[in-house]
Amino acid sequence: MSVLSPVARTWTHRALVRALVRRELSARYRGGALGFLWSFVNPLLLLLVYATVFRFVFAPRADVRPYALFLFGGVLVWGFVSSALLDAVDAFRANGPLLRKTTVAPEVFPAAAVGARLAHLLLALPVLAAAIAVVAMRGGIRPGPELLEFPVVLALLVVAVFGAALLCSALAVSFGDVRDVVANLLTLAFFVTPVLYPVEAVPPRWRWLLWLNPFAPFFAGVHDSLFFFRPIAASDWLRMAAWAAVSLALGAAVFERLRDSIAEEA
Amino acid sequence: MSAPPTPAVPAVVSVSAVSKVFRRYARRGRGSGSLKSALLAGLGAGGRGTAANGVVALSDVSFEVAPGETLGVIGPNGSGKSTLLKLLAGILRPTRGRVEVRGRLAALLELGAGFHPEISGRENVEINGLLLGLTRAQIAERFDAIVRFAGVEEFLDAPVKTYSSGMAVRLGFAIAAASEPDVFLVDEVLAVGDEAFAHRALERFADFERAGKTLLFVSHDLNLVTERCRRAIWLEGGRIAADGPAADTVARYREHVAATEGRRRLREAGAGGRVGSGAATIESVRVLDRDGRPAGRLKRGEPAAIEMTVRAREPLADFVFGFQVSTVPGAVVFGSNTLLDGHAPDSFSGAATVSLAIPSVDLAPGVYALDAAVHARSGAPYDYWRDALRFEVTAHAASAGVWSPPRRWSTAGSVRWRQ
Repeated sequence: MSVLSPVARTWTHRALVRALVRRELSARYRGGALGFLWSFVNPLLLLLVYATVFRFVFAPRADVRPYALFLFGGVLVWGFVSSALLDAVDAFRANGPLLRKTTVAPEVFPAAAVGARLAHLLLALPVLAAAIAVVAMRGGIRPGPELLEFPVVLALLVVAVFGAALLCSALAVSFGDVRDVVANLLTLAFFVTPVLYPVEAVPPRWRWLLWLNPFAPFFAGVHDSLFFFRPIAASDWLRMAAWAAVSLALGAAVFERLRDSIAEEA
Repeated sequence: MSAPPTPAVPAVVSVSAVSKVFRRYARRGRGSGSLKSALLAGLGAGGRGTAANGVVALSDVSFEVAPGETLGVIGPNGSGKSTLLKLLAGILRPTRGRVEVRGRLAALLELGAGFHPEISGRENVEINGLLLGLTRAQIAERFDAIVRFAGVEEFLDAPVKTYSSGMAVRLGFAIAAASEPDVFLVDEVLAVGDEAFAHRALERFADFERAGKTLLFVSHDLNLVTERCRRAIWLEGGRIAADGPAADTVARYREHVAATEGRRRLREAGAGGRVGSGAATIESVRVLDRDGRPAGRLKRGEPAAIEMTVRAREPLADFVFGFQVSTVPGAVVFGSNTLLDGHAPDSFSGAATVSLAIPSVDLAPGVYALDAAVHARSGAPYDYWRDALRFEVTAHAASAGVWSPPRRWSTAGSVRWRQ
């Protein structure tokens, strides 16, 4: 129990987490004239850029056409992962006054960072759905019931990201270089994870490396459910569940150990 | 020294032998350690500080607070008051010792600490309420009362950054008060609002007291502490210097501050300038106590003397010796000279000691500055030494003003004094 106390406390304070997420969203959009429309406009522009670049500039592999659509899901989900983790690194710095002056449970801040980025992702999903529908109508792809695997993949990914967010936020309090380490690891991970390419693009003799990459099964799952519409392999499900469990346990354990220093040093 | 009021009632707050040590670099902010070096040394490298390399904010502090008690915490800046409240609030953990709080606690360590400037007052009320441990249902139920208390009805949907600081302060207080805590910690927040708000806040505190709730508040407003608290703790350098009835604690603290301030003023003596032709010079000035010994401190009501040694460059026929006593801010308390007191000059040559005996020092306790002068009858100075030295007057009882004559109270009629 004690190892998972940060998780339990987050659950206890879920109303606060929800309120912080709402605060984050409304503070972010209040300034702009378009408000929540930006949630749609941003991914739409992204989609447009991909569609243009990969139609006229690069010729993608045959098995991932239309490549813009292939990219779209993976890049959206990757955007969630990387921005959630970077926000988690800054979570305590950004909420220093609250931490030092109120009796708030510190877990709520990394949780809210993940929550807010998840909300952005969810708000962009209608655009993704529309893109899938348009391509399907033109006969480019044939969506199947495998689409329903996506929410499960996303749920496991959220658990994994929350664990990593706990880890990053707690370490960032004591160590100044966490942001640089995380940013560089994310850049590296982006290229060694099948986000821009399918798992099949990795030469078979290197494919074992993907077993060491915690992100790999999740993005294989994203592509399977959103683009290829094929069932996700049992081994991928297993790896997703295992990485999610490891991430949550490790993140919660480190967070619990450093917890007392957070209000003191944030 | 400590005053646990009624031992039969279990304490609602109990602090036993608590010390708090901050890691030294922690104060300058975060990020002094690097993840790389810590990973090399194992996670423990970023661990807790010890007394050897830390800043001791509190040491060995123990006290208890009974339910319904209003406790004031006073002391200079940096004495550990805020650290104590944060330990009680559970924001910080004690390095040693134990802190126990029974019941629901609300800490108002900074008004509006939870406010986000970009979002509306309405949304901020909800977040602040949740931060204080209210449920959403409770917030909804108390929302109108909070808004009414704060007087921000028309601005509820405007972002908090458009609020005046007074509005933000009122709203923050209203939310905290609405959380109906059993123990309410308040850190110097009344100083921010206007008079009307302070009044309403104090009324709210009185309600708490009547409801048998416990209130701890840190304040620099000693009058407020005397007025509102039955008991007060004085923290000095992280230790409890006094714990007892508020009036006593405040009096002892005031005495200490006055003495410290007095020592500082005494150290500044001699800063004044000297003017004069130099026909005669003052070589030294001293204050003598009742035994004729040079002293920096005199007792009120006792005899004393002021003395200077003067040397004439050449024999003088026109000379006046004078002293002047002022308060440190510069109000003249007394001044006179040999001419005014009827000594007509004849001749003065070589060195001389000039003494002014005072049968009774009738000055209120405090620090005084002494000017010494030797000048011509016209007032033209040979040597005028401003602020030549400072001395302190001490007394058993305080009094207002600078004159503190020997005195006795008497009454006629049916007035009785407690023995």
